[in-house]
Amino acid sequence: MTTLPAHDMGPAADGFRKEIRAWLAKHWTPEKQAAHLRKPFNERGYDNEFSRLMGRDGWIGLGWPKHFGGQGRSPTEQIAFITEIANAGAPAHAHTTSETIVAQALFQHGAKEQQDEWLPAIKHGERLFALGYSEPEAGSDLAALRTRAVRDGDHWVVNGQKLWSTGADKADHMWLAVRTDPEAKKHAGISVLMVDLRTPGITIRPSMALYGKTFSTHFYDDVRVPAKNMVGAVNTGWKVITDALAAERVMIGGTRMAALERAFDHLTEYLKTAVVGGKALKNDPVIRDRIGALAADLEVARQFQMRNSRLVEQGRVPLHEAAMGKVFASELQERLGQAALDILGTAGLLSEDTPGAPVGGHMEQLLRHSIMGMIGGGTSEIQRNVIAQRGLDLPR
Amino acid sequence: MSISQPTDLEGLSSTERDLLRKSVRELLAKRWPADRAVEAALDGAAVASIWRELAGQGLGALGADTTGLREAMLVFEELGRASCPAPMLGAVAANMTLGHEQSNTAAAFLGDVHRGEARIALALGGFDGDPAAGSMAMRDGALSGRTPFVEGAQTATHFLVLTDGGVAMVTASAPGVAMQATPGLAVPALSELSFTNTPAVHWTMSANRLADIAVVARLACAGRALGAAQRAFEMAVEHAKVRKQFGQLIGQFQAVQHKLADCLTSLDGARLTLESAADARDNGNPDWRFFAAAALAFAGPALREVSIQTHRALGAIGYAEEHEAPRHFRRVHADLARFGGAPRARAELADLVLGPAT
Repeated sequence: MTTLPAHDMGPAADGFRKEIRAWLAKHWTPEKQAAHLRKPFNERGYDNEFSRLMGRDGWIGLGWPKHFGGQGRSPTEQIAFITEIANAGAPAHAHTTSETIVAQALFQHGAKEQQDEWLPAIKHGERLFALGYSEPEAGSDLAALRTRAVRDGDHWVVNGQKLWSTGADKADHMWLAVRTDPEAKKHAGISVLMVDLRTPGITIRPSMALYGKTFSTHFYDDVRVPAKNMVGAVNTGWKVITDALAAERVMIGGTRMAALERAFDHLTEYLKTAVVGGKALKNDPVIRDRIGALAADLEVARQFQMRNSRLVEQGRVPLHEAAMGKVFASELQERLGQAALDILGTAGLLSEDTPGAPVGGHMEQLLRHSIMGMIGGGTSEIQRNVIAQRGLDLPR
Repeated sequence: MSISQPTDLEGLSSTERDLLRKSVRELLAKRWPADRAVEAALDGAAVASIWRELAGQGLGALGADTTGLREAMLVFEELGRASCPAPMLGAVAANMTLGHEQSNTAAAFLGDVHRGEARIALALGGFDGDPAAGSMAMRDGALSGRTPFVEGAQTATHFLVLTDGGVAMVTASAPGVAMQATPGLAVPALSELSFTNTPAVHWTMSANRLADIAVVARLACAGRALGAAQRAFEMAVEHAKVRKQFGQLIGQFQAVQHKLADCLTSLDGARLTLESAADARDNGNPDWRFFAAAALAFAGPALREVSIQTHRALGAIGYAEEHEAPRHFRRVHADLARFGGAPRARAELADLVLGPAT
């Protein structure tokens, strides 16, 4: 069921889609799906066992270069994969950060021994990472981070506090940005550590975010991290972080796009037959006008995403283009959620916990979730700075 | 005949299209300079001359096959950028409708178009999409009816008129033709045409083919609006890099940066979707009308907003009619309001997504 016509992604991607569907049909069975839906909302999307199954059958690391054990699939094929997984509602969040951000950084900045040890483990759906970036005084201004790491023999000793880490309570490792030189200029004194969350001295305190899943505050009290777990040279962490982020934005965009298309499909499928107060909703000219506008915006979001993929395929790093795609798609999610509330009226407030809620009760969650898209991974305002300063070369 | 050479411009690679864009832009910069563009647009001889030059580059033959819309869109964008009212839309419509007709009349007529001797104004009538656009019909071999909102009529040699059953070709000087310029936001002005038992050559065509011509006309107008909006936007960006207020460049103010960032997003979104729609049509993708409607539904409000924000960045400097920006404001708004505009495109998308209203 897709409302928008598919773009021809070429025979390779189309053939690949068939393979993915066949695998999902075999392994993402109706029984597993039903069991997954019985889990609390907060836990859905994360399934360590399913991640290991995907790893076993080679579905992790599709886009990795072959010499790192990947399949060297094109971004177009990776997006086909993400879309199929999203359409099937299969849980793949558990390994996503490891697969995209951590692995990407290890390709570029990891030591040979780190690559040999960590990449195969990630590929097998083990070593599930969360990101430890934000702090109480370092949000958009990430480089202001103060969590301190001090060298002590073969270890770094970490002290500090991190905030808003999605999935930290479900992960087993942290991709942790720390300050290793407090005297240097703020971008120049940062390093990245891979931290085993079972290490003594770590406290993880999850809190519920507006969209119904947790994010965590985590505290580090004299946590000893082996020095061999630092990725990149000491004090070069800012480059490690930003390099990985650029490539990752395209894939995150793919996930968001797939979710948006699915939400729009749900809404339009409902509208085709819904009768409220004796009137068929689909005949309402205001609703039709709104749906037409949203369909156009979805197509624009798809075009931004496809451009990003093309740029990556040409070996270029989309920077302001990626920012554009993120701003547009995340703000479109907000518009879609708001339109759904206007169209459904009070019934749009009902969640999936209310039996018989229209559109499965998904629309109010879509709206709550949209805020995350406009904040996480760089706020819309930061993205607009990037577009203005990098895309238009406006003065800082 | 020079028809074979120009068709070489269709189905180009993206690198070749970049070269085509460059050559069209250079020609227009030389022959249609910005400082004389507004004046020249009202001068029939100047329009006739630039059209001969553009046709000399083979551009008058675009659209003859089911490919070439990508290339034609690029030309529309450049014409919008240069504020040049060359009758490209009429030529593309003529090639689309008559390119496969075997008759000598059609071949001779298209030959004149391809050489730049014929300048065609297109009247969509009942296919216009604007309910006030009137309609025309053939009776006993003659054309009758009236239609407002026709562009390029004052400098045209021929009118290509969509009727209820096909397409009619009328010589501008034919008996029974009345023409009235209707000044407004669009410069040059649109015109109202009326035909009273006017002799016309008529070719019968299916309603679907005629409707597709209207889709291409809408894409063409959006392409011109994009070119005009882009050009004015570039002027605003350059302005923001040199204009100082409160002791700093206005381009350093985040309020200005974010405004211009949103404009770039809108321009890129409009360009990507318009190109994708033209690509889909050139590749024979049956969904191309969906992609066209999506491009038009987005470009309408988005490019208008770009035009407005461009003026806000330029301030009073860009508000004088002697500045280049106002002509682009007119072009953007005039082109986006025509043929049913964005509301029609949204209605079409709703038809495709929800099914027709019952």
